[in-house]
Amino acid sequence: MSGRRRGEKESTVRPAPASGDGGVWYSDDPRDIGWVRENIPCQSACPAGTNIPGYIQAIMEKEYGRAYEINREANVLPGILGRICSRPCEDVCRHAQPGNGETVNICHLKRTASDLKHVGHRITESLYTPSGKQVAIVGAGPAGVAAAHDLSLLGHDVTIFERESDPGGMLRYGIPAFRLPRDVLHVELHNALRLGVELRTGVEVGSGEGQTPLTRLGKDFDAVLLSTGSMAPVTLPLKEGVGKDNPDSIEGVEYGLYFLMEMHRGEKKTVGKRVAVVGAGFTALDCARVAKRLGAEEVTIHIRTAEEYIPVTKDEIFECKREGVRIKGLRSPAQLSVDDGGRLRGIEFVQNRLGGWRENGRRAAIPIEGSEFFEPCDTLLIAIGQRTVNDYLDIKLELDRWGSVKADEGGQTSKKGVFAAGDYVSGPTTIIEAVGNGRRVAAGIDTWLMGRQRRRQVVRIEPVDGPLRERGFDFIERQHMPTAPLAGRNKELTREVETGYDEALAATESKRCYLCNLKYQIDVDNCIYCRACIEVAPKNCIKLVEGVEIREDGTYGELLETSEWDEVGAIWIDNNECIRCGACFMVCPTKCISITRNEFVTQDI
Amino acid sequence: MAEPTHNVIIGNGSAGNGAAITLRERDPDSRITIITMGSLPFYNRYDLPRVFRGCDDWREILVHPLAYYDDNRITLRRNSRVTDVDGRSRSITFAHNEVMHYDQLLVCAGGRGYLPEELSDYYGLMHGFHSFEAAITTRRALPEGGTVVMLGGDMIGLDLARTLIDVGYRVALLANEYTFWPHRIDADERGGFIAALEHMGIEVVDGMRPVAVEEGAAGTPARRVVFDDGGSLDGDVVMPFYGLVPTAEFMLRSGVDIERGLLVDPQLHTTDPHIWAAGDVCQIWSAADNEYRFYYGWTNVRQMGEVAARNVTGTNEPFEGVDDERLHIGKDGHILSPFWEH
Repeated sequence: MSGRRRGEKESTVRPAPASGDGGVWYSDDPRDIGWVRENIPCQSACPAGTNIPGYIQAIMEKEYGRAYEINREANVLPGILGRICSRPCEDVCRHAQPGNGETVNICHLKRTASDLKHVGHRITESLYTPSGKQVAIVGAGPAGVAAAHDLSLLGHDVTIFERESDPGGMLRYGIPAFRLPRDVLHVELHNALRLGVELRTGVEVGSGEGQTPLTRLGKDFDAVLLSTGSMAPVTLPLKEGVGKDNPDSIEGVEYGLYFLMEMHRGEKKTVGKRVAVVGAGFTALDCARVAKRLGAEEVTIHIRTAEEYIPVTKDEIFECKREGVRIKGLRSPAQLSVDDGGRLRGIEFVQNRLGGWRENGRRAAIPIEGSEFFEPCDTLLIAIGQRTVNDYLDIKLELDRWGSVKADEGGQTSKKGVFAAGDYVSGPTTIIEAVGNGRRVAAGIDTWLMGRQRRRQVVRIEPVDGPLRERGFDFIERQHMPTAPLAGRNKELTREVETGYDEALAATESKRCYLCNLKYQIDVDNCIYCRACIEVAPKNCIKLVEGVEIREDGTYGELLETSEWDEVGAIWIDNNECIRCGACFMVCPTKCISITRNEFVTQDI
Repeated sequence: MAEPTHNVIIGNGSAGNGAAITLRERDPDSRITIITMGSLPFYNRYDLPRVFRGCDDWREILVHPLAYYDDNRITLRRNSRVTDVDGRSRSITFAHNEVMHYDQLLVCAGGRGYLPEELSDYYGLMHGFHSFEAAITTRRALPEGGTVVMLGGDMIGLDLARTLIDVGYRVALLANEYTFWPHRIDADERGGFIAALEHMGIEVVDGMRPVAVEEGAAGTPARRVVFDDGGSLDGDVVMPFYGLVPTAEFMLRSGVDIERGLLVDPQLHTTDPHIWAAGDVCQIWSAADNEYRFYYGWTNVRQMGEVAARNVTGTNEPFEGVDDERLHIGKDGHILSPFWEH
């Protein structure tokens, strides 16, 4: 059995070094690194690797500024992401596992850290000495801004080239202000870029007249980062009929992305009384909610599969419906119908049935032959996806089969010194993925510029005196986000819908977090096998084991459970089942159970 | 000796009970467990209006005598809420953390009253009719000859309205697209049916959109429904009747296909080989209509339960629903719905 040491007795809590900061020690042991990766599901699911239990505990202690700083270590835009994140963390929250209730409102708590921090809160950041290296970043969207922030911290001179008049990319031009207020956006972008980043807006990079060629940036800067996002809409595939190749040429038909961008540039947009939106992402929902606010009487979102499988949060779907938007599933547009004047009069759909799962984790929809039906509408907003555009490149870069630039793990493209990050590389993803990728590529650029890796991730391990939770916390209901009254909501484009937790709601919700960064361990040398901990445990979390598998990479694998006393090598706390209630710790007669807080931190090498 | 097959039925309505007795007849040795969130054994939902005629004893509306479950060796788990079904491990998790294993699962969880999202903030100010207990609570909140404001209507609400008027209450109905749910009414028919409702003694308010429910001011009825134009309507209780939505949330992580309800083939089989569904919780593929559709009403639901149970035990027959969905106006000028037949 390769890579497995059956029966290995991994039972003794490794002692802290004699000297240190209150017993705190730092570990690069694969077992500790693997434990953090596997036992804190929310943090592992976060593309930016946010220390979620860390900031939620700070909120529980009413240390909002500290909570904000913990967020900022991984994600420089907590106030923004606390409002519009796609929340992959909540999908895997241990509190949502069968029998445990509902997920913790992780995202709402992130926003709380931003909203409730002291008005005079000071951001603390450790600056590296100037490196003398210059980096150009093309595109001031979330990936570009996150990379610019990190690169400037690392001592490099950063210049951002942005074609729009203001920074933010999709944050500013794609997301309506009723979801992301512009004052929050302004403050957080300013904080991210104020460490000497030069922002040149209204500058278009390209080979056309009046544009700045990429080759010149290559000569003037030590490194160039392309982070121009996926800023073109995917065209609507129609079977036949008018507008087959260019549906937006029909009066009443627009691409949702352009509809939102033009509105956020200040253009006056109008819609008809009956609006159809085709698409299933955040852009589709935003289009529908904007259409309601622009006076549409009937707004319907048409989706290929079913509501359950669309990649937006349940809260967004709920608010969308509260505002009067309808969602109809299992249909794909087949062709458009126009009146004698060439204006849209409706859509012919084909009925779908659900297919299997696609490679991207989404459900497939299979059209049913002969099932066409007609739905009238006078405005169609198409929001079925976005794609990258490369026509501004005057250098040849290797592309993948989707037309996105190929980049290695450090973000380096096929041309030395030219890096790429965010949706420009991956295709359209989410804001948090763009931020996380921007930061990783910034680290790659730094390594390339300095000729060595300057930082590394280790695990900070800190002894904790006792359980930080009470069993009663496990029965607290999920605290819903307060929202603006429905009356009048559809008349205002900029009034924020979600109004934020107050201190009381934040305190209650924060108690629900299991604090999965706490590691409970039993010191087998002191355990008397009395089974008191097993009897008091509310879950099947304390197990008799022969041993623990050690994988080839040195991390812990599965527990080798046994019910035969003569085979028991250890009594082991399964931290995947453990809800950190502390019952075992309290009942143990020999005090052989210890608790440590385990967190990733970055250290200089 | 091998363990008997454990057939678990989630839902204690007509589909679930139709399935249970069919299973017992076809598989005398199996274990059968019915799980319900409710506190009562199977009772006739169509008898609930009797509460407003003074029925206080739940035994009067039971479909079977209390010994029925024991006699048929059916375990009834009451007050038990299922929070999760895991199709891979064939296990059910309850809200109280218990885990139960099944060999075959029939989901007959039915539907619950839909409340439009825009009114969800006012749920606590409305009265329900979804259970015997809710009906009792509503009756106690109603003064003699008091006014019920019905939002929507639907065939459940209109059935209740007939009784309420008969026993001396006033019914004010805010008519909208749900008023004749689940019947699909053409625009040119609608006026006739609204007139029939008025003929039945229902005070119909048509075309007003409720946006809020408030507590009434001192000296006025207990509730006030506010319209989007600022107008309002007072009543002693406000009852929403916007049709049913499938109770399918606990199946979201089971691995079966879901649109609005559980998607099943004509044999009522879900996409999981060990899970069937019947009743208001499922959308059945209709080759004739080229869509997944719901079938409502006692007759359909009961038949679905029986068909699903027969298929669990080895047959492979399709469900053929009673498709007469027409709403009528009777000789007395009152509306008549096949939905009310049982």
